[in-house]
Amino acid sequence: MYHILEFLRKYYYILIFIVLEIISFWALFRFNNYQGSVWLTSANSTTAKINRLYYDIATYWHLGEVNRKLTSENLRLQQEAHALREALLDQKVEGTFLDSITRTSISGYQYIDAKVIVNSDGKKNNYIVIDKGANDGITRDMGVICGNGVVGIVCITGPRYSLVTPIINKHSNISCRIRGERHFGTLQWDGKDCRYVYLDEIPRYAKIKKGSIIETSGHSSVFPPGLYVGKVNSVNDSPDGQSFRLKVELGTDFLTTRDVNIVITPYKAEIDTLQLYANRAYTDEPS
Amino acid sequence: MLQKTLSLIGLGMLLTLLQATLFNHIHLLGYAIPLPYVYLLIKFPSNTPRIVYLVTGFLLGLIVDIFSNTPGMTAASLCAIGLVTPWLFNAFAPKDRGEEILHPSTRSMGAKSFYLYAFFITLLHCIIFFCIETFTFFNLQVLLLKIMCSTALTFGLIFVFEHLHPRRSKASS
Repeated sequence: MYHILEFLRKYYYILIFIVLEIISFWALFRFNNYQGSVWLTSANSTTAKINRLYYDIATYWHLGEVNRKLTSENLRLQQEAHALREALLDQKVEGTFLDSITRTSISGYQYIDAKVIVNSDGKKNNYIVIDKGANDGITRDMGVICGNGVVGIVCITGPRYSLVTPIINKHSNISCRIRGERHFGTLQWDGKDCRYVYLDEIPRYAKIKKGSIIETSGHSSVFPPGLYVGKVNSVNDSPDGQSFRLKVELGTDFLTTRDVNIVITPYKAEIDTLQLYANRAYTDEPS
Repeated sequence: MLQKTLSLIGLGMLLTLLQATLFNHIHLLGYAIPLPYVYLLIKFPSNTPRIVYLVTGFLLGLIVDIFSNTPGMTAASLCAIGLVTPWLFNAFAPKDRGEEILHPSTRSMGAKSFYLYAFFITLLHCIIFFCIETFTFFNLQVLLLKIMCSTALTFGLIFVFEHLHPRRSKASS
């Protein structure tokens, strides 16, 4: 406080100077037509610039929300596209009434928004932590996807957070197929490059070319069928020479993924119970 | 002291009167306008408080503005001159004067220092005044020409005043 007073005492004349200049310029702009109009014009353009800046900043702050909406929208559209594609295929092959009824009843997957909290980038066994857990209805073995494709599968859930095993983890194996071909195999990562995974066990008679789209097969209850995973980068022979081994370029960039969705499969409990029953029934048989 | 103050007030009134009646009508070649009222600020003694420089500059400017129908223009420029005059004065005044009060003139400061001091203040005043008057740098050549011609004319007038003034003060004392 003392310093402020001391400063004012020493430099009070600057303050007076500013006041007098303000009065002078007020008179200048008020009573001189030319200077007044110049001032008004430039003041207007300055106001416009400030408004523009404010608008830009406001837009920037809303980008997160926009991004989240776009991710959801993208997923919805992918689902729709898949449904339409399937419908088209069915129209070509066999369009029975019963089949379409079954299909409608199975559709209707639900999605929960989540954010990536931890992302172990580029290690051998990667993992992702998301900010939704058992309290939000997440359980083990639920699929995790984002706008660009499949991310991974929920491994462990806590009350508020969950651990996800992404595709780029050596323990991950997700059943995938080639779009339009219906040959399927298991997607596995070799632990080297985060951008590429391998799809094994594709029969040699399958018609595959570079750029073919790999999607989820829907053979497990984890992912709905037809979700985009990636594109075929190159077609190689498997080590035993019996089948193809496809190098797949992933659609998801794991290093930058922030917004994800968790897939809640309807009737998952039912499917799981049946699978459990099947496992018990067939393994308990005396061999 | 009182006599000096009164003589400065008289000088201020004289300069205002001259500006209103005579100098406002001089537009040499359309470029040179004499603005010699700045002479008053130049003549302020060394012990003048800064606030007096500012307020005098502002008021003198306002009065001149009223007579020449340019509200704010001279007031703004002369007020700015009031801010910088003490600094310029300290830069040109003799360093060994001690506590003695100095009345700026050719005799007290030396002709060279005084005229340099007067010239810089005149130049600065003309720059600020014409920048405010044109209020654009669109026609920079004309602006520079105006500043140069007016500085030369004003400085010439101050030179004349300075040569008249001592004789007048000598006669009065």
